[in-house]
Amino acid sequence: MSKPKVATDWLAGCAGCHMSFLDIDERIVDLVDLVDLRSSPITDLKEPDPSGVDVGILEGGINNTANEEVAHRMRKRCKILVALGDCAVFGGVPAMRNFFKIEDVLRRAYIETESTDAEGKIPDDPELAKPTRVRAVSEVVPVDVYIPGCPPSAEIIYYALSELAQGRIPVLKDERLQWH
Amino acid sequence: MATITINQQTYEVPDGITVLQAARQLGIFIPTLCDHPHLTPYGGCRLCMVEIEGFRTLQAACTIPVSNNMVIHTENEKIKKAREFALSLIFSERNHFCPYCQVSGGDCELQNAAYRVGMTHWPLQPNWQPFPVDASHPYIILEHNRCILCRRCIRACNELVGVNTLGVANRGARTFVIADFGVPLGESTCVSCGMCVQVCPTGAMIDRKSAYQGKKSEAEHVETICTGCSLGCGLDVLITDNRILSIYGNWDAPVNQGVLCKVGRYYPLDDDRPRITQPLVRKNGELQPTTWEEALSVAASALKRHSANSLTLASARLTAEALYLFRKVFAEGLHSPLVTTLNGHAMRPLTETLHDLGEPFEGRVTDLNDATSILIVQADLASNHEVLGFMVRRSLNRGVRIVIADSRENPLAALAEVSLVFKEGRQLAVVEGLMAAVARLGLSQTEYTEDAIANLANAAKTTGLATDDFLKAAYQITRGEKPVIIYDPAAINDVVAIKALVRLAKMTGATLISPKGEANSLVAAQFNLIEPMRPGTYEVAFVALGDEIPSETLVAALERTPFLIVQASRESKLTARADVVLPVYTWAEESGHYLNLEGRLQEAHPCLTAPGQAKSNEVALRKLAEALEVSAEGDWRTVLTQRVAPVTIAV
Repeated sequence: MSKPKVATDWLAGCAGCHMSFLDIDERIVDLVDLVDLRSSPITDLKEPDPSGVDVGILEGGINNTANEEVAHRMRKRCKILVALGDCAVFGGVPAMRNFFKIEDVLRRAYIETESTDAEGKIPDDPELAKPTRVRAVSEVVPVDVYIPGCPPSAEIIYYALSELAQGRIPVLKDERLQWH
Repeated sequence: MATITINQQTYEVPDGITVLQAARQLGIFIPTLCDHPHLTPYGGCRLCMVEIEGFRTLQAACTIPVSNNMVIHTENEKIKKAREFALSLIFSERNHFCPYCQVSGGDCELQNAAYRVGMTHWPLQPNWQPFPVDASHPYIILEHNRCILCRRCIRACNELVGVNTLGVANRGARTFVIADFGVPLGESTCVSCGMCVQVCPTGAMIDRKSAYQGKKSEAEHVETICTGCSLGCGLDVLITDNRILSIYGNWDAPVNQGVLCKVGRYYPLDDDRPRITQPLVRKNGELQPTTWEEALSVAASALKRHSANSLTLASARLTAEALYLFRKVFAEGLHSPLVTTLNGHAMRPLTETLHDLGEPFEGRVTDLNDATSILIVQADLASNHEVLGFMVRRSLNRGVRIVIADSRENPLAALAEVSLVFKEGRQLAVVEGLMAAVARLGLSQTEYTEDAIANLANAAKTTGLATDDFLKAAYQITRGEKPVIIYDPAAINDVVAIKALVRLAKMTGATLISPKGEANSLVAAQFNLIEPMRPGTYEVAFVALGDEIPSETLVAALERTPFLIVQASRESKLTARADVVLPVYTWAEESGHYLNLEGRLQEAHPCLTAPGQAKSNEVALRKLAEALEVSAEGDWRTVLTQRVAPVTIAV
């Protein structure tokens, strides 16, 4: 049996989940024995193979039209989609902005912040992605495996990936189930 | 007894209990959120759903009573689904994102419940309705976004404290916990007892002083006694890194059964007076750090030189062990002309009454739990002994009638069925009027041979009240089998009036309870440390202040004393002007005994390790005895119990 192909990407998150992934340290060598790590923000390849991968992993929630596109592409190209971390699973910290109107959030970020000099400007280039309400990945595309945690510990990520590599769906419970 | 079957096992359980209580007694776990063992069942969260054979739908275990031959299932696929669905609904209502909540990671009952069912995600996303955060209160932040509307805080405020500040407004998804009629908590009738925080299952009630300081679930617990007043409430002190994280009421403590007031819960966390960590001696006009040996020898030589002209004072918040040594060293060893406790004279009216009566005449605080009526005479249960006040307040829920007789405005007057506001100084006449009224109603349980009608008319005239007021009061007091009279002997300050109250208690079959002042004021009285401060020219003064804040009166009284020795935990105006300062433990570091207002001897346990060279008050006094070459031998327990007390001492 050939090694399962894995692709990852990050959306509206802080990259912390990928950092936690790197925290598995030397076991990454074991993991590379088990899986074929394809595209990822931490590898040179940035997009999952058009021919498809076995496991797609998304960190972060979906907070604009660009994230929507990345999520749809990943879903289309992977067999098992994993939501990694609280932002992907629940919306997480970025979702705090959902309690406000998007206009108010943009004004606060680009005009009212203490570090903004002159009068500030809300970016409006048509090339830019359009901000939306922050959503969990599962609100946009179907998710097969949820790994909550802010971030999930390296231990949990290693467990989940090694289960997936061996063709099993990881079951997170007891001390492996953490939302914080 | 009822025979019930839970998960195919048959058990005998008491009648009248709920399915949840039965399961808990049998050690069968049923998840809950809105339920709290010390509050009445509410049935709001639907997490405790169980299947009962013969019932059309799942039932809430917390509210359904057991009945004979009931067959109950606590775990199956249908129950699991229902519980998960209930949890999804709760999570969808408000902001329950864990990473930025201070109770996440062990302290949150909602998160723990989700973990228990293996919830990896929310099937329903939140509806993003922002709720306000009420940070108007000095000790408590009300974070509505984390609220699950379990109403534990509201039930605690009503059932345990009787203050009824918290309630809800609106219905459905707009339901909202409010203070009074929707005012900020900090401007409400809240008494800052913090019971709402103690029972909150999520991060909706935040304790300002302990938030984000450490996990309660990982803290060390020490059970000890509050030294804030003479009630002696049991504390559950949570400690991390030799620091108090928070103070909870000990649910198992016989006196307070979990309830605390702000004095026990928040005041200690607010205390930021600098500590004294090493002995100090005044040299060239300035206090300078020194060794214990030098400080003790300087103190001892001054005390010995001027023993005939010495004034020695101790805080009545010191342990029985320390107060005993204090008396031993200064009264018996040094023969100091004035050996007493701060405010010790407040115990004199009660002690003099006892002297006349010769036997205990007061009862137990627990009698308040099944009191049928409560008479409060000149006792202010809002500015001190607040938990006693909570017991009075919450008794209203049981339909208890409250009668208040006070010459001042009593803080509980609004709750009283009858309030007798009498002319200043007419305490005796009020009690005599009440006795006459009880006799007039023909309800006296003991002989009353005086002319009740004439006495009643007399009392009315003297007090400025109507005879009808007395009759109404007497009627309410005698309505049930178990009246309780709470009186403040120091405020009444009249031995004849107190003796009249003792007689009134006999006439009505009432239990008498009185606040005693400080945590060990009763011990001070037993050790005869209740002399009033006498003005005079003292050459040397010794004050075992402990961790108390010295009153302005005390500081002024000692202003001109040529040589001042202070044994204290924290800096104050008194230590600043002292010639010798001996560093001692605070209440949280001390171990020793306290005798509460009802004669219950309780042991305080150390929660923290003291900094620097501080010693316990007992050890400091023992060292001083050595330096003075006086005896410190003897058994405090024997001395404590050999004299009769106003209460029965349970050693």
